[in-house]
Amino acid sequence: MRNYIIKRLFYSVIIAWGILTVTFVLLRIGPTSPVDRYILNIAAKGQNVESVKQAIEARYGLDKPLIEQYFTYLGNLLQGNWGWSFSTSMPVLELIGSHWIYSFQLILLATIFAIVLGISIGMLSAVKQNTKFDYAASIFSFIGISIPGFWLGLMLILVFAVQLGIFKTYYDTNYPIWSLENLKQLILPVMALGIGELAGYVRYTRSAMLDNLRKEFVTTARAKGLSERTVIGKHVFRNAILPLVTIIMFDLGSIVFGGAYLTEIVFGIPGLGQVSFNAIFANDYAVVVAITLIGTFLVLLLNLGTDVVYTYLDPRIRYD
Amino acid sequence: MNLKYARSGWKLIIASLLTLSTLVGCSAPVAKGVFIEGDVTGGEAETLNWILAADASSFGYVGYTLESLATYDNQFNIQMRCLARDIEVSSDGLVYTVTLRNDLKWSDDSQVTADDYVYTLKNLMFSDWLNYNYRDDWKEEVNGQKVFVTPSVINNTTFTITRQTVDPEFIYTLYDLIPYPKYISSKYEGNVAAFTQAKEFNELSYTGNLGPYKFKEWLRNDKFVVERNPDFFLGKESGAPFFSEYVIKMFGTSAVMQGALEAGDITYCGIEPPNVPKFKKLDRINVYTVPTRGYNLISYNQRANGWEGLRKKEVRQAVSMAIDKDTIVQKMYLGFAEPAFSFIPSSSPWYSEENVVKFGVAPLTGKQKAMEQLKAAGYDYTNNGDRTVLMDKNGKPVKLILVTTPGSDIVESMSLLIKQELSDIGIEVEVKMVQWPTLLRQYMMNKAPGSDEEPRYNNGPQAVSEEPWDLALMGHNTDPLAPSGSSVFFASDGGLNSFGFFNNEIDALFKKVKSRAALDRDDRKTIYIELARVMSEEQPVDFIVFTRANRGFQKNVKGIEPGINMGYNYYLWRFE
Repeated sequence: MRNYIIKRLFYSVIIAWGILTVTFVLLRIGPTSPVDRYILNIAAKGQNVESVKQAIEARYGLDKPLIEQYFTYLGNLLQGNWGWSFSTSMPVLELIGSHWIYSFQLILLATIFAIVLGISIGMLSAVKQNTKFDYAASIFSFIGISIPGFWLGLMLILVFAVQLGIFKTYYDTNYPIWSLENLKQLILPVMALGIGELAGYVRYTRSAMLDNLRKEFVTTARAKGLSERTVIGKHVFRNAILPLVTIIMFDLGSIVFGGAYLTEIVFGIPGLGQVSFNAIFANDYAVVVAITLIGTFLVLLLNLGTDVVYTYLDPRIRYD
Repeated sequence: MNLKYARSGWKLIIASLLTLSTLVGCSAPVAKGVFIEGDVTGGEAETLNWILAADASSFGYVGYTLESLATYDNQFNIQMRCLARDIEVSSDGLVYTVTLRNDLKWSDDSQVTADDYVYTLKNLMFSDWLNYNYRDDWKEEVNGQKVFVTPSVINNTTFTITRQTVDPEFIYTLYDLIPYPKYISSKYEGNVAAFTQAKEFNELSYTGNLGPYKFKEWLRNDKFVVERNPDFFLGKESGAPFFSEYVIKMFGTSAVMQGALEAGDITYCGIEPPNVPKFKKLDRINVYTVPTRGYNLISYNQRANGWEGLRKKEVRQAVSMAIDKDTIVQKMYLGFAEPAFSFIPSSSPWYSEENVVKFGVAPLTGKQKAMEQLKAAGYDYTNNGDRTVLMDKNGKPVKLILVTTPGSDIVESMSLLIKQELSDIGIEVEVKMVQWPTLLRQYMMNKAPGSDEEPRYNNGPQAVSEEPWDLALMGHNTDPLAPSGSSVFFASDGGLNSFGFFNNEIDALFKKVKSRAALDRDDRKTIYIELARVMSEEQPVDFIVFTRANRGFQKNVKGIEPGINMGYNYYLWRFE
């Protein structure tokens, strides 16, 4: 197992390097320039747009040959220097360091919210198949899957913040991360981000549970006189959870790579989604490459984590 | 001493003291509360190290902690800030004498001197190693060469700027000047990386008593926070500023931002036209409608890859006549705009309606008039089923490409309206929505076909863009105090004259307004009146509307003077 993990980590580094290189090249060979968004501003002040463009590109080393820029970047990265973000005027690592926690807490809470509620409702729905609860859960999950998170977020703000005044209209970074106020203000964003996932998990869990409930080992377990609680919890659920783990990890990867961005935008949460989106529009290459690199590593680690979790959930799986 | 009188005397003194203290309380508001201004993420600043900034927001953020030499009120009257008295201009218009206040301090308590200003100009703004983005503002053309003006220190609080040529509008550049502290800057001189990353500049830790607020915190994409500066040089007597903190809170969407204003979570933000009636009905919100510097226009591509008709003044006039500006004002901007006829807005001191030709409003509007003018210009109409179609010189139906950027409901609606209005005069329009970088690279940048030259926004009369286009719907800004800056768009050698308008009369007028002939204000106004007339007649572009902004404030904010520069006295705003 240890050898397998080491091998996978090694492959992860190779893949991350490949993605870094592709991102780096694609960003720079594009026709856009960091100066594009200021052109009218520069021109309105009577400046020579071309000379300003050259000056800015020279200031940040963007006028050098691509290969030179690439090796300079790699060299700096190996020394722990992730570069300077020219659209925010701070070191890239410091920028990421001051924003990751906002994305992390949102993604973590939304995932827990979706998993706990989604799996619970899905299990109950399967056990109480064709009851009012099952029908209600099905309708809720179809609605949840269909509603765009962006729209849901706006509606939640309109109703609970603007009309009822229960919550603030935006995420307030003045509250400490480990405070009840912070937890309270995350309720709406977590719902907006998590409800789509939750609804999906209800459907997946219900379907996987029903599949397993019909299997012979369940009949055997019941014939042995095991309690219904043990049959469902120990035998059916354990078998049903395997495909769910893959789906949950896949969803988590999607959220890390942009799913949380819209929620951050709507609620004004200054997370990495917003940082990367703004960096893309500002052509702030160093930030885009860094966040892509971190995202890549996270997804690779999540995949590795999924494989490792499999071995615990199903002892028949071995990676030797 | 009579005790009775003595007692009543004490009562009188105590009563007087109480009254006095109440009066004092009334005249000097106490600093309290946090003012939260909402902004959308696109308006986020890039840097607090302002000399490196290209965007307007960065200068805005720095402005909370660092006053310029002077600013303007809503009527464009000079309001002195770091100046002890107004800048003196020599009678020949070549020497500007700047006299600073003597109570300006850096954070280390040393005096801000004329040497700091001259150092900032000579060693930073004019330097090659730092490449200040706006250094052309400080250059003049002498014998065909662009050279810097000459700053010189006279004494601790006085310096001069000497020019070799007259530019009556140079003084406005000078009023905006802010300094770097020489004692810090000199440590980084010549090293652009070190200067860029210098903590003192990126955290504005040097600003002393130069601004109403001091830098506190900046969490990117979230908030910029400054706190009250008790030592602010303009607050000695008044006690200003009156907010304990001033926060700029960034929002991802304007819908949520306006929701935050409605819920009372923020103090102030801009309001979009459709929401104005709702906010005006709210008891706790004041909405002020003010002029802006922004205007919309349709560029007519007069280069070789645009419709040849657009190279004729009469055709441009006809197209402008077909597009009704009052409809755009009422239907698109819901009344929060005014028709434009040149780049000089009605809020400008140089504005005059004298002789301006007003295409697009009555009586110079209407489909019939536009069609008649097109016929007079030599173009024929033919009937194609139930449609009347304008034919080009080769006998083919005229089809134009209108290019613009997506993302604004108003712009998208306006594009469709223009398409409809031109269809009514027999011109088919294809609307192309392209992203801003694409618009710049493929439609605005140009070069002579087959040449090796680098594409630029104006590579001369022979140059054409990569993609063909005829009309471009865009938004521009103008400077009401110095509108001649728009020469960058409309002069033959203008760096952003991407639409290929070349006119000797316009060129001469732009030159004249920046020369000795315009030194006298009345003469300058006469030149601007003529410039506006020729522009409105030539129609190099169809100036559509100057927009108005709606600013929503919580009603408990006092001291606001609505107008184009309504923030000029923001340090006196307060909660009541």
